[in-house]
Amino acid sequence: MKQEFYDTLSSPILWGVLLLAALLPFALSSYYLHIVTLALVYVALASSWNIVGGMAGQVSLAHSLFIGIGAMLSSALLLKLGINMWLGLVISAVISGVLGAMIAWIDFRFQLGHLSFVLITLAFAEMGAIVVEGWEFLGGASGMLLPKDTGDFLAFQFGGGSGSFWVMLTLAAVCVLVNVAILNAPLGFYLRTIRDNEKAAQAIGVNVLRYKITAMVISAVLASVVGTAYVRYLTFADPYLLISPVITIEIVLFATVGGLGRAYGPALGALLLVPLGEVLRGKLGSALPGLHYFIYGVVVIAVILATPRGLLPLFERQWERWRRS
Amino acid sequence: MLEIEGLTAGYGGIEVLRDINVRLGDGELVGLLGANNAGKTTMINSLSGTVKPMAGRILFQGEDITRLTPRQRVERGIVQVPEGRLVFPEMSIRENLLLGGINSRARPQRRQQMEKVLELFPRLGERLAQHAGSLSGGEQQMLAIGRGLMADAKVLMLDEPSLGLSPLFVQYIFEIIDKLHADGLTILLVEQNLNLTLRHAQRCYVLERGQVAVEGGADAVRNDPRTKSAYLGL
Repeated sequence: MKQEFYDTLSSPILWGVLLLAALLPFALSSYYLHIVTLALVYVALASSWNIVGGMAGQVSLAHSLFIGIGAMLSSALLLKLGINMWLGLVISAVISGVLGAMIAWIDFRFQLGHLSFVLITLAFAEMGAIVVEGWEFLGGASGMLLPKDTGDFLAFQFGGGSGSFWVMLTLAAVCVLVNVAILNAPLGFYLRTIRDNEKAAQAIGVNVLRYKITAMVISAVLASVVGTAYVRYLTFADPYLLISPVITIEIVLFATVGGLGRAYGPALGALLLVPLGEVLRGKLGSALPGLHYFIYGVVVIAVILATPRGLLPLFERQWERWRRS
Repeated sequence: MLEIEGLTAGYGGIEVLRDINVRLGDGELVGLLGANNAGKTTMINSLSGTVKPMAGRILFQGEDITRLTPRQRVERGIVQVPEGRLVFPEMSIRENLLLGGINSRARPQRRQQMEKVLELFPRLGERLAQHAGSLSGGEQQMLAIGRGLMADAKVLMLDEPSLGLSPLFVQYIFEIIDKLHADGLTILLVEQNLNLTLRHAQRCYVLERGQVAVEGGADAVRNDPRTKSAYLGL
Protein backbone atom coordinates (compact mmCIF):
# COMPACT_ATOMS: atom_id res chain seq x y z
CA MET A 1 0.00 0.00 0.00
CA LYS A 2 2.94 2.32 0.60
CA GLN A 3 4.49 1.82 -2.83
CA GLU A 4 2.43 4.59 -4.39
CA PHE A 5 3.74 7.08 -1.83
CA TYR A 6 7.36 6.31 -2.69
CA ASP A 7 6.47 6.48 -6.38
CA THR A 8 5.06 9.96 -5.78
CA LEU A 9 8.12 11.00 -3.77
CA SER A 10 10.50 9.90 -6.51
CA SER A 11 8.32 11.17 -9.33
CA PRO A 12 10.07 13.60 -11.70
CA ILE A 13 6.74 15.38 -12.20
CA LEU A 14 6.54 16.32 -8.52
CA TRP A 15 10.07 17.68 -8.39
CA GLY A 16 9.72 19.37 -11.77
CA VAL A 17 6.57 21.19 -10.66
CA LEU A 18 8.17 22.19 -7.35
CA LEU A 19 11.32 23.43 -9.08
CA LEU A 20 9.33 25.49 -11.59
CA ALA A 21 7.19 26.85 -8.77
CA ALA A 22 10.30 27.75 -6.78
CA LEU A 23 11.43 29.95 -9.68
CA LEU A 24 8.21 31.99 -9.66
CA PRO A 25 9.61 34.84 -7.47
CA PHE A 26 11.99 35.69 -10.31
CA ALA A 27 9.18 35.91 -12.83
CA LEU A 28 6.31 37.55 -10.97
CA SER A 29 5.72 41.07 -9.78
CA SER A 30 5.32 41.46 -6.03
CA TYR A 31 1.53 41.77 -6.39
CA TYR A 32 1.17 38.44 -8.19
CA LEU A 33 3.77 36.84 -5.95
CA HIS A 34 1.60 37.83 -2.99
CA ILE A 35 -1.44 36.19 -4.59
CA VAL A 36 0.45 32.96 -5.26
CA THR A 37 1.86 32.95 -1.71
CA LEU A 38 -1.65 33.40 -0.35
CA ALA A 39 -2.87 30.56 -2.56
CA LEU A 40 -0.12 28.32 -1.12
CA VAL A 41 -1.18 29.21 2.44
CA TYR A 42 -4.63 27.96 1.59
CA VAL A 43 -3.29 24.89 -0.24
CA ALA A 44 -1.55 23.96 3.00
CA LEU A 45 -4.56 24.75 5.19
CA ALA A 46 -7.13 23.04 2.98
CA SER A 47 -4.91 19.95 2.67
CA SER A 48 -4.44 19.78 6.43
CA TRP A 49 -8.21 20.09 6.96
CA ASN A 50 -8.80 17.37 4.37
CA ILE A 51 -7.35 14.70 6.69
CA VAL A 52 -10.27 15.06 9.09
CA GLY A 53 -12.91 16.70 6.93
CA GLY A 54 -12.34 14.81 3.71
CA MET A 55 -10.77 11.44 4.44
CA ALA A 56 -12.55 10.73 7.73
CA GLY A 57 -15.67 12.64 6.66
CA GLN A 58 -15.81 14.55 9.93
CA VAL A 59 -16.73 18.10 9.00
CA SER A 60 -14.72 19.94 11.63
CA LEU A 61 -15.16 23.68 11.96
CA ALA A 62 -12.46 23.88 14.64
CA HIS A 63 -9.68 24.48 12.14
CA SER A 64 -9.58 28.23 12.80
CA LEU A 65 -8.82 27.38 16.42
CA PHE A 66 -5.61 25.59 15.45
CA ILE A 67 -4.60 28.21 12.88
CA GLY A 68 -5.36 30.88 15.48
CA ILE A 69 -3.30 29.21 18.18
CA GLY A 70 -0.38 28.85 15.77
CA ALA A 71 -0.65 32.52 14.79
CA MET A 72 -1.77 34.39 17.91
CA LEU A 73 -0.01 32.36 20.61
CA SER A 74 3.38 32.27 18.90
CA SER A 75 3.11 36.05 18.26
CA ALA A 76 2.16 36.70 21.90
CA LEU A 77 4.97 34.49 23.19
CA LEU A 78 7.44 36.46 21.07
CA LEU A 79 6.12 39.96 21.85
CA LYS A 80 5.11 39.54 25.49
CA LEU A 81 7.64 36.99 26.76
CA GLY A 82 10.43 37.27 24.23
CA ILE A 83 10.24 33.60 23.32
CA ASN A 84 11.83 32.74 19.98
CA MET A 85 9.18 32.15 17.33
CA TRP A 86 10.62 28.74 16.38
CA LEU A 87 9.99 27.62 19.94
CA GLY A 88 6.63 29.41 19.85
CA LEU A 89 5.77 27.39 16.74
CA VAL A 90 6.49 24.15 18.58
CA ILE A 91 4.59 25.19 21.73
CA SER A 92 1.56 26.25 19.67
CA ALA A 93 1.65 23.05 17.64
CA VAL A 94 1.73 20.91 20.80
CA ILE A 95 -1.19 22.80 22.34
CA SER A 96 -3.15 22.53 19.08
CA GLY A 97 -2.46 18.81 18.94
CA VAL A 98 -3.64 18.28 22.52
CA LEU A 99 -6.81 20.33 21.89
CA GLY A 100 -7.43 18.37 18.70
CA ALA A 101 -7.10 15.09 20.58
CA MET A 102 -9.54 16.37 23.20
CA ILE A 103 -12.14 17.31 20.60
CA ALA A 104 -11.80 13.93 18.89
CA TRP A 105 -12.15 12.19 22.24
CA ILE A 106 -15.30 14.15 23.11
CA ASP A 107 -16.73 13.26 19.71
CA PHE A 108 -16.09 9.56 20.33
CA ARG A 109 -17.05 9.45 23.99
CA PHE A 110 -20.43 11.08 23.44
CA GLN A 111 -21.00 9.45 20.05
CA LEU A 112 -21.76 12.77 18.39
CA GLY A 113 -23.56 12.54 15.09
CA HIS A 114 -22.38 14.52 12.09
CA LEU A 115 -24.39 17.63 12.85
CA SER A 116 -23.48 17.66 16.55
CA PHE A 117 -19.83 17.32 15.60
CA VAL A 118 -20.07 20.32 13.28
CA LEU A 119 -21.73 22.39 16.00
CA ILE A 120 -19.38 21.32 18.79
CA THR A 121 -16.31 22.12 16.71
CA LEU A 122 -17.85 25.47 15.76
CA ALA A 123 -18.42 26.18 19.44
CA PHE A 124 -14.75 25.44 20.17
CA ALA A 125 -13.71 27.78 17.34
CA GLU A 126 -15.96 30.56 18.66
CA MET A 127 -14.62 30.07 22.17
CA GLY A 128 -11.09 30.44 20.82
CA ALA A 129 -12.03 33.70 19.10
CA ILE A 130 -13.67 35.05 22.26
CA VAL A 131 -10.66 34.15 24.40
CA VAL A 132 -8.25 35.85 22.00
CA GLU A 133 -10.36 38.99 21.61
CA GLY A 134 -10.89 39.30 25.33
CA TRP A 135 -7.39 38.55 26.55
CA GLU A 136 -4.82 41.33 26.24
CA PHE A 137 -1.96 38.81 26.39
CA LEU A 138 -3.06 37.34 23.05
CA GLY A 139 -3.42 40.78 21.52
CA GLY A 140 -7.07 41.39 22.36
CA ALA A 141 -9.35 42.73 19.68
CA SER A 142 -6.69 45.04 18.24
CA GLY A 143 -4.20 42.32 17.40
CA MET A 144 -0.41 42.49 17.48
CA LEU A 145 2.23 43.92 15.15
CA LEU A 146 5.25 41.67 14.69
CA PRO A 147 8.76 43.15 14.33
CA LYS A 148 9.92 43.90 10.82
CA ASP A 149 11.03 40.84 8.83
CA THR A 150 14.79 41.31 8.38
CA GLY A 151 15.44 37.83 7.05
CA ASP A 152 17.01 36.50 10.25
CA PHE A 153 16.29 32.80 9.84
CA LEU A 154 17.05 31.97 13.49
CA ALA A 155 14.33 34.43 14.54
CA PHE A 156 11.79 32.78 12.18
CA GLN A 157 12.22 35.56 9.62
CA PHE A 158 12.45 34.79 5.92
CA GLY A 159 12.92 38.21 4.40
CA GLY A 160 9.34 38.69 3.18
CA GLY A 161 8.56 38.38 -0.58
CA SER A 162 10.42 35.48 -2.09
CA GLY A 163 11.64 34.03 1.23
CA SER A 164 8.10 33.72 2.57
CA PHE A 165 6.99 32.31 -0.75
CA TRP A 166 9.53 29.49 -0.50
CA VAL A 167 8.50 28.75 3.07
CA MET A 168 4.86 28.54 2.01
CA LEU A 169 5.73 26.41 -0.99
CA THR A 170 7.55 23.98 1.32
CA LEU A 171 4.66 23.88 3.79
CA ALA A 172 2.10 23.38 1.03
CA ALA A 173 4.18 20.54 -0.45
CA VAL A 174 4.54 18.92 2.98
CA CYS A 175 0.79 19.10 3.66
CA VAL A 176 -0.08 17.61 0.27
CA LEU A 177 2.53 14.85 0.67
CA VAL A 178 1.17 14.03 4.14
CA ASN A 179 -2.20 13.57 2.41
CA VAL A 180 -0.65 11.23 -0.16
CA ALA A 181 1.15 9.30 2.57
CA ILE A 182 -1.96 8.84 4.72
CA LEU A 183 -4.14 7.78 1.80
CA ASN A 184 -1.62 5.09 0.91
CA ALA A 185 -1.10 3.91 4.46
CA PRO A 186 -3.47 1.71 6.50
CA LEU A 187 -4.52 4.90 8.35
CA GLY A 188 -6.08 6.23 5.14
CA PHE A 189 -8.16 3.09 4.70
CA TYR A 190 -9.29 3.16 8.32
CA LEU A 191 -10.30 6.81 8.01
CA ARG A 192 -12.30 5.98 4.90
CA THR A 193 -14.12 3.17 6.70
CA ILE A 194 -15.02 5.66 9.45
CA ARG A 195 -16.25 8.12 6.83
CA ASP A 196 -18.28 5.51 4.93
CA ASN A 197 -19.81 3.91 7.99
CA GLU A 198 -18.58 4.18 11.54
CA LYS A 199 -20.65 1.25 12.77
CA ALA A 200 -19.35 -1.06 10.07
CA ALA A 201 -15.83 0.16 10.85
CA GLN A 202 -16.31 -1.01 14.43
CA ALA A 203 -17.77 -4.29 13.24
CA ILE A 204 -14.57 -5.13 11.35
CA GLY A 205 -12.44 -4.19 14.34
CA VAL A 206 -11.19 -0.70 13.43
CA ASN A 207 -10.04 1.17 16.54
CA VAL A 208 -12.25 4.17 15.79
CA LEU A 209 -11.13 6.29 18.74
CA ARG A 210 -7.44 5.89 17.99
CA TYR A 211 -7.74 6.82 14.32
CA LYS A 212 -10.09 9.72 14.94
CA ILE A 213 -7.59 11.15 17.40
CA THR A 214 -4.64 10.46 15.09
CA ALA A 215 -6.33 12.23 12.17
CA MET A 216 -7.34 15.21 14.29
CA VAL A 217 -3.88 15.60 15.85
CA ILE A 218 -2.07 15.48 12.50
CA SER A 219 -4.55 17.95 11.04
CA ALA A 220 -4.33 20.32 14.03
CA VAL A 221 -0.53 20.31 14.21
CA LEU A 222 -0.19 21.06 10.49
CA ALA A 223 -2.76 23.88 10.71
CA SER A 224 -0.99 25.39 13.70
CA VAL A 225 2.42 25.38 11.98
CA VAL A 226 0.95 26.96 8.85
CA GLY A 227 -0.76 29.51 11.12
CA THR A 228 2.59 30.55 12.62
CA ALA A 229 4.21 30.89 9.20
CA TYR A 230 1.18 32.81 7.88
CA VAL A 231 1.24 35.38 10.68
CA ARG A 232 4.97 35.89 10.13
CA TYR A 233 4.24 36.57 6.47
CA LEU A 234 1.42 39.02 7.29
CA THR A 235 3.48 40.62 10.13
CA PHE A 236 0.16 41.57 11.69
CA ALA A 237 -1.62 39.11 14.00
CA ASP A 238 -5.19 39.99 13.11
CA PRO A 239 -7.69 38.09 15.29
CA TYR A 240 -10.56 38.79 12.88
CA LEU A 241 -8.68 37.01 10.11
CA LEU A 242 -6.68 34.32 11.88
CA ILE A 243 -8.95 32.93 14.58
CA SER A 244 -12.30 33.62 12.99
CA PRO A 245 -14.44 30.65 11.88
CA VAL A 246 -14.75 32.44 8.53
CA ILE A 247 -11.30 31.17 7.57
CA THR A 248 -12.51 27.59 8.15
CA ILE A 249 -15.49 28.15 5.88
CA GLU A 250 -13.12 29.28 3.12
CA ILE A 251 -10.96 26.21 3.65
CA VAL A 252 -13.96 23.87 3.53
CA LEU A 253 -15.09 25.60 0.35
CA PHE A 254 -11.71 25.18 -1.37
CA ALA A 255 -11.49 21.52 -0.35
CA THR A 256 -15.03 20.80 -1.56
CA VAL A 257 -14.61 22.56 -4.89
CA GLY A 258 -11.29 20.81 -5.48
CA GLY A 259 -12.27 17.30 -4.39
CA LEU A 260 -12.95 16.13 -0.84
CA GLY A 261 -10.91 13.29 0.59
CA ARG A 262 -8.50 13.20 -2.33
CA ALA A 263 -4.80 13.98 -1.97
CA TYR A 264 -4.64 16.78 -4.54
CA GLY A 265 -8.26 17.95 -4.45
CA PRO A 266 -8.05 20.65 -1.75
CA ALA A 267 -4.79 21.94 -3.23
CA LEU A 268 -6.41 22.27 -6.63
CA GLY A 269 -9.40 24.09 -5.16
CA ALA A 270 -7.21 26.60 -3.31
CA LEU A 271 -4.90 27.15 -6.29
CA LEU A 272 -7.86 28.05 -8.49
CA LEU A 273 -10.16 29.90 -6.11
CA VAL A 274 -7.72 32.06 -4.14
CA PRO A 275 -6.26 33.76 -7.22
CA LEU A 276 -9.75 34.05 -8.73
CA GLY A 277 -11.03 35.80 -5.61
CA GLU A 278 -8.01 38.09 -5.40
CA VAL A 279 -7.98 39.03 -9.06
CA LEU A 280 -11.73 39.65 -9.08
CA ARG A 281 -11.35 41.92 -6.09
CA GLY A 282 -8.44 43.75 -7.67
CA LYS A 283 -10.23 44.32 -10.99
CA LEU A 284 -13.78 44.83 -9.86
CA GLY A 285 -13.53 45.84 -6.21
CA SER A 286 -13.62 49.53 -7.04
CA ALA A 287 -16.11 49.34 -9.91
CA LEU A 288 -19.11 48.20 -7.96
CA PRO A 289 -18.56 47.26 -4.32
CA GLY A 290 -19.55 43.63 -3.71
CA LEU A 291 -19.60 42.70 -7.40
CA HIS A 292 -16.47 40.53 -7.03
CA TYR A 293 -18.12 38.53 -4.23
CA PHE A 294 -21.16 38.02 -6.42
CA ILE A 295 -19.17 36.71 -9.39
CA TYR A 296 -17.04 34.55 -7.10
CA GLY A 297 -20.18 33.04 -5.58
CA VAL A 298 -21.70 32.31 -8.98
CA VAL A 299 -18.51 30.55 -10.11
CA VAL A 300 -18.39 28.41 -6.96
CA ILE A 301 -22.06 27.42 -7.27
CA ALA A 302 -21.60 26.56 -10.94
CA VAL A 303 -18.59 24.35 -10.19
CA ILE A 304 -20.36 22.50 -7.38
CA LEU A 305 -23.46 21.94 -9.52
CA ALA A 306 -21.41 20.75 -12.48
CA THR A 307 -19.04 18.43 -10.58
CA PRO A 308 -20.40 17.52 -7.13
CA ARG A 309 -17.27 15.47 -6.44
CA GLY A 310 -15.04 18.43 -7.12
CA LEU A 311 -12.84 19.56 -9.97
CA LEU A 312 -10.16 16.93 -9.49
CA PRO A 313 -12.04 14.08 -11.26
CA LEU A 314 -12.49 16.42 -14.22
CA PHE A 315 -8.76 17.10 -14.40
CA GLU A 316 -7.96 13.41 -13.98
CA ARG A 317 -10.14 12.47 -16.94
CA GLN A 318 -8.41 15.09 -19.06
CA TRP A 319 -5.01 13.82 -17.91
CA GLU A 320 -5.96 10.22 -18.86
CA ARG A 321 -7.04 11.34 -22.33
CA TRP A 322 -3.75 13.21 -22.70
CA ARG A 323 -1.66 10.23 -21.74
CA ARG A 324 -3.46 7.86 -24.04
CA SER A 325 -3.17 10.08 -27.11
CA MET B 1 -18.28 -21.43 23.12
CA LEU B 2 -20.24 -18.27 23.93
CA GLU B 3 -22.16 -17.89 27.17
CA ILE B 4 -24.25 -14.93 28.20
CA GLU B 5 -25.13 -14.87 31.89
CA GLY B 6 -27.67 -12.50 33.40
CA LEU B 7 -27.05 -9.82 30.79
CA THR B 8 -28.84 -6.50 31.31
CA ALA B 9 -28.15 -3.76 28.78
CA GLY B 10 -29.69 -0.64 27.32
CA TYR B 11 -29.15 2.99 26.45
CA GLY B 12 -28.90 5.95 28.79
CA GLY B 13 -30.25 4.21 31.88
CA ILE B 14 -33.18 2.57 30.09
CA GLU B 15 -33.02 -1.21 30.18
CA VAL B 16 -33.69 -2.82 26.84
CA LEU B 17 -32.52 -6.29 27.83
CA ARG B 18 -33.17 -7.75 31.26
CA ASP B 19 -31.38 -10.73 32.73
CA ILE B 20 -30.69 -12.61 29.50
CA ASN B 21 -29.18 -16.10 29.58
CA VAL B 22 -28.11 -17.49 26.22
CA ARG B 23 -25.64 -20.21 25.24
CA LEU B 24 -23.98 -21.02 21.93
CA GLY B 25 -22.28 -24.41 21.66
CA ASP B 26 -19.24 -25.03 19.46
CA GLY B 27 -20.39 -25.24 15.82
CA GLU B 28 -24.01 -24.57 16.63
CA LEU B 29 -26.43 -22.57 14.51
CA VAL B 30 -28.62 -20.71 16.95
CA GLY B 31 -31.52 -18.43 16.04
CA LEU B 32 -32.46 -15.32 17.97
CA LEU B 33 -36.03 -14.37 17.18
CA GLY B 34 -38.42 -11.65 18.17
CA ALA B 35 -40.60 -8.85 16.91
CA ASN B 36 -39.39 -5.29 16.39
CA ASN B 37 -38.20 -3.69 19.62
CA ALA B 38 -37.74 -7.04 21.34
CA GLY B 39 -34.05 -6.24 21.87
CA LYS B 40 -32.41 -8.40 19.21
CA THR B 41 -30.05 -5.74 17.88
CA THR B 42 -29.17 -4.53 21.38
CA MET B 43 -28.26 -8.11 22.20
CA ILE B 44 -25.99 -8.55 19.17
CA ASN B 45 -24.42 -5.14 19.85
CA SER B 46 -23.71 -6.13 23.46
CA LEU B 47 -21.91 -9.18 22.14
CA SER B 48 -19.93 -7.01 19.70
CA GLY B 49 -19.15 -4.53 22.46
CA THR B 50 -20.74 -1.46 20.90
CA VAL B 51 -23.34 -1.45 23.69
CA LYS B 52 -21.96 -1.55 27.23
CA PRO B 53 -23.74 -4.02 29.53
CA MET B 54 -25.20 -2.76 32.83
CA ALA B 55 -25.04 -6.13 34.54
CA GLY B 56 -24.14 -9.73 33.82
CA ARG B 57 -21.24 -11.17 31.95
CA ILE B 58 -20.27 -12.63 28.61
CA LEU B 59 -17.88 -15.57 28.36
CA PHE B 60 -16.14 -16.56 25.17
CA GLN B 61 -14.24 -19.87 25.21
CA GLY B 62 -14.13 -19.56 28.96
CA GLU B 63 -12.71 -16.02 28.95
CA ASP B 64 -14.68 -13.11 30.42
CA ILE B 65 -14.98 -10.61 27.56
CA THR B 66 -17.63 -8.35 29.13
CA ARG B 67 -15.26 -5.37 29.38
CA LEU B 68 -13.39 -5.80 26.10
CA THR B 69 -13.60 -3.19 23.32
CA PRO B 70 -15.25 -4.05 19.98
CA ARG B 71 -11.83 -4.34 18.35
CA GLN B 72 -10.55 -6.80 20.96
CA ARG B 73 -13.62 -8.96 20.43
CA VAL B 74 -13.14 -9.02 16.66
CA GLU B 75 -9.56 -10.06 17.32
CA ARG B 76 -10.84 -13.04 19.32
CA GLY B 77 -13.14 -14.03 16.47
CA ILE B 78 -16.51 -12.61 17.49
CA VAL B 79 -17.66 -10.94 14.31
CA GLN B 80 -20.88 -9.13 13.54
CA VAL B 81 -22.43 -8.68 10.11
CA PRO B 82 -24.48 -5.58 10.88
CA GLU B 83 -28.10 -5.05 9.97
CA GLY B 84 -28.80 -3.21 6.75
CA ARG B 85 -25.67 -4.48 4.95
CA LEU B 86 -23.32 -1.75 6.13
CA VAL B 87 -20.68 -2.05 3.43
CA PHE B 88 -18.27 0.79 2.63
CA PRO B 89 -20.00 2.22 -0.45
CA GLU B 90 -17.13 4.39 -1.70
CA MET B 91 -14.67 1.52 -1.73
CA SER B 92 -14.23 -1.34 -4.14
CA ILE B 93 -15.33 -4.89 -3.37
CA ARG B 94 -11.70 -5.91 -3.03
CA GLU B 95 -11.01 -3.14 -0.51
CA ASN B 96 -14.14 -4.00 1.47
CA LEU B 97 -13.07 -7.63 1.71
CA LEU B 98 -9.45 -6.90 2.57
CA LEU B 99 -10.54 -4.46 5.26
CA GLY B 100 -12.58 -7.24 6.82
CA GLY B 101 -9.31 -9.00 7.59
CA ILE B 102 -7.42 -6.21 9.32
CA ASN B 103 -7.42 -7.73 12.79
CA SER B 104 -4.04 -9.09 13.85
CA ARG B 105 -5.19 -12.72 13.85
CA ALA B 106 -6.71 -12.67 10.35
CA ARG B 107 -4.26 -10.33 8.63
CA PRO B 108 -1.42 -12.79 7.87
CA GLN B 109 -3.62 -15.13 5.83
CA ARG B 110 -6.11 -12.71 4.39
CA ARG B 111 -5.12 -13.37 0.76
CA GLN B 112 -5.92 -17.09 1.14
CA GLN B 113 -9.04 -16.23 3.10
CA MET B 114 -10.16 -13.98 0.25
CA GLU B 115 -9.88 -16.88 -2.21
CA LYS B 116 -12.14 -18.94 0.02
CA VAL B 117 -14.68 -16.14 0.28
CA LEU B 118 -14.68 -15.63 -3.48
CA GLU B 119 -15.23 -19.35 -3.95
CA LEU B 120 -18.30 -19.01 -1.75
CA PHE B 121 -19.51 -15.88 -3.58
CA PRO B 122 -18.27 -16.14 -7.17
CA ARG B 123 -20.41 -13.14 -8.12
CA LEU B 124 -18.18 -10.90 -6.01
CA GLY B 125 -15.04 -12.22 -7.69
CA GLU B 126 -16.33 -11.16 -11.10
CA ARG B 127 -16.34 -7.50 -10.15
CA LEU B 128 -13.65 -6.91 -7.54
CA ALA B 129 -12.87 -3.39 -8.69
CA GLN B 130 -16.49 -2.22 -8.65
CA HIS B 131 -17.66 0.22 -5.97
CA ALA B 132 -19.64 -1.53 -3.25
CA GLY B 133 -22.26 1.23 -3.33
CA SER B 134 -23.25 0.22 -6.87
CA LEU B 135 -24.14 -3.37 -5.92
CA SER B 136 -27.70 -4.64 -5.52
CA GLY B 137 -29.07 -5.27 -2.03
CA GLY B 138 -28.47 -9.02 -2.29
CA GLU B 139 -24.92 -8.56 -3.53
CA GLN B 140 -24.22 -6.11 -0.70
CA GLN B 141 -25.43 -8.72 1.76
CA MET B 142 -23.02 -11.24 0.19
CA LEU B 143 -20.25 -8.69 0.53
CA ALA B 144 -21.15 -7.97 4.16
CA ILE B 145 -21.06 -11.69 5.00
CA GLY B 146 -17.86 -12.12 3.00
CA ARG B 147 -16.27 -9.25 4.89
CA GLY B 148 -17.28 -10.88 8.18
CA LEU B 149 -15.70 -14.17 7.09
CA MET B 150 -12.51 -12.33 6.16
CA ALA B 151 -12.08 -11.54 9.86
CA ASP B 152 -11.53 -15.27 10.39
CA ALA B 153 -14.68 -15.43 12.52
CA LYS B 154 -15.16 -18.10 15.15
CA VAL B 155 -18.65 -16.87 15.94
CA LEU B 156 -20.45 -15.13 13.10
CA MET B 157 -23.38 -12.99 14.20
CA LEU B 158 -25.76 -12.13 11.40
CA ASP B 159 -28.18 -9.30 12.10
CA GLU B 160 -31.30 -9.75 9.94
CA PRO B 161 -29.58 -11.00 6.79
CA SER B 162 -32.93 -11.42 4.98
CA LEU B 163 -34.03 -7.83 5.56
CA GLY B 164 -35.25 -6.20 2.37
CA LEU B 165 -34.10 -8.97 0.02
CA SER B 166 -36.09 -10.68 -2.72
CA PRO B 167 -37.28 -14.24 -1.83
CA LEU B 168 -34.74 -15.77 -4.21
CA PHE B 169 -31.87 -13.96 -2.55
CA VAL B 170 -33.17 -14.84 0.90
CA GLN B 171 -33.12 -18.51 -0.09
CA TYR B 172 -29.60 -18.12 -1.48
CA ILE B 173 -28.30 -16.38 1.65
CA PHE B 174 -29.76 -19.11 3.87
CA GLU B 175 -28.12 -21.79 1.71
CA ILE B 176 -24.83 -20.01 2.34
CA ILE B 177 -25.54 -19.93 6.07
CA ASP B 178 -26.22 -23.69 6.01
CA LYS B 179 -22.98 -24.26 4.14
CA LEU B 180 -20.97 -22.23 6.67
CA HIS B 181 -22.65 -24.14 9.49
CA ALA B 182 -21.81 -27.45 7.83
CA ASP B 183 -18.17 -26.32 7.69
CA GLY B 184 -18.23 -26.02 11.47
CA LEU B 185 -18.69 -22.27 11.97
CA THR B 186 -20.65 -21.19 15.05
CA ILE B 187 -23.45 -18.88 13.96
CA LEU B 188 -25.87 -16.63 15.80
CA LEU B 189 -28.69 -15.77 13.43
CA VAL B 190 -30.83 -12.81 14.41
CA GLU B 191 -34.06 -12.76 12.45
CA GLN B 192 -37.66 -11.66 12.39
CA ASN B 193 -38.57 -14.32 9.88
CA LEU B 194 -39.82 -17.05 12.23
CA ASN B 195 -40.51 -20.00 9.93
CA LEU B 196 -37.40 -19.58 7.84
CA THR B 197 -35.18 -19.41 10.91
CA LEU B 198 -36.83 -22.41 12.54
CA ARG B 199 -36.14 -24.45 9.41
CA HIS B 200 -32.40 -23.74 9.55
CA ALA B 201 -31.43 -23.21 13.19
CA GLN B 202 -30.77 -26.06 15.60
CA ARG B 203 -31.99 -24.14 18.58
CA CYS B 204 -33.77 -20.83 19.00
CA TYR B 205 -34.35 -18.15 21.57
CA VAL B 206 -37.42 -15.93 21.28
CA LEU B 207 -37.09 -12.50 22.84
CA GLU B 208 -40.07 -10.58 24.09
CA ARG B 209 -39.72 -7.10 25.50
CA GLY B 210 -36.09 -7.65 26.42
CA GLN B 211 -36.43 -11.08 27.99
CA VAL B 212 -36.11 -14.62 26.75
CA ALA B 213 -39.71 -15.84 26.42
CA VAL B 214 -39.11 -19.21 24.77
CA GLU B 215 -36.09 -21.35 24.09
CA GLY B 216 -35.48 -24.78 22.61
CA GLY B 217 -35.43 -26.77 19.38
CA ALA B 218 -37.41 -25.78 16.31
CA ASP B 219 -40.49 -27.87 17.03
CA ALA B 220 -40.65 -26.86 20.67
CA VAL B 221 -40.46 -23.19 19.75
CA ARG B 222 -42.95 -23.52 16.88
CA ASN B 223 -45.56 -25.19 19.07
CA ASP B 224 -45.08 -23.04 22.13
CA PRO B 225 -48.05 -20.65 22.49
CA ARG B 226 -45.73 -18.04 24.00
CA THR B 227 -43.93 -17.73 20.66
CA LYS B 228 -47.11 -16.50 19.05
CA SER B 229 -47.78 -14.09 21.87
CA ALA B 230 -44.20 -12.78 21.69
CA TYR B 231 -44.71 -11.96 18.04
CA LEU B 232 -48.22 -10.64 18.23
CA GLY B 233 -47.78 -8.91 21.56
CA LEU B 234 -50.86 -10.65 23.03
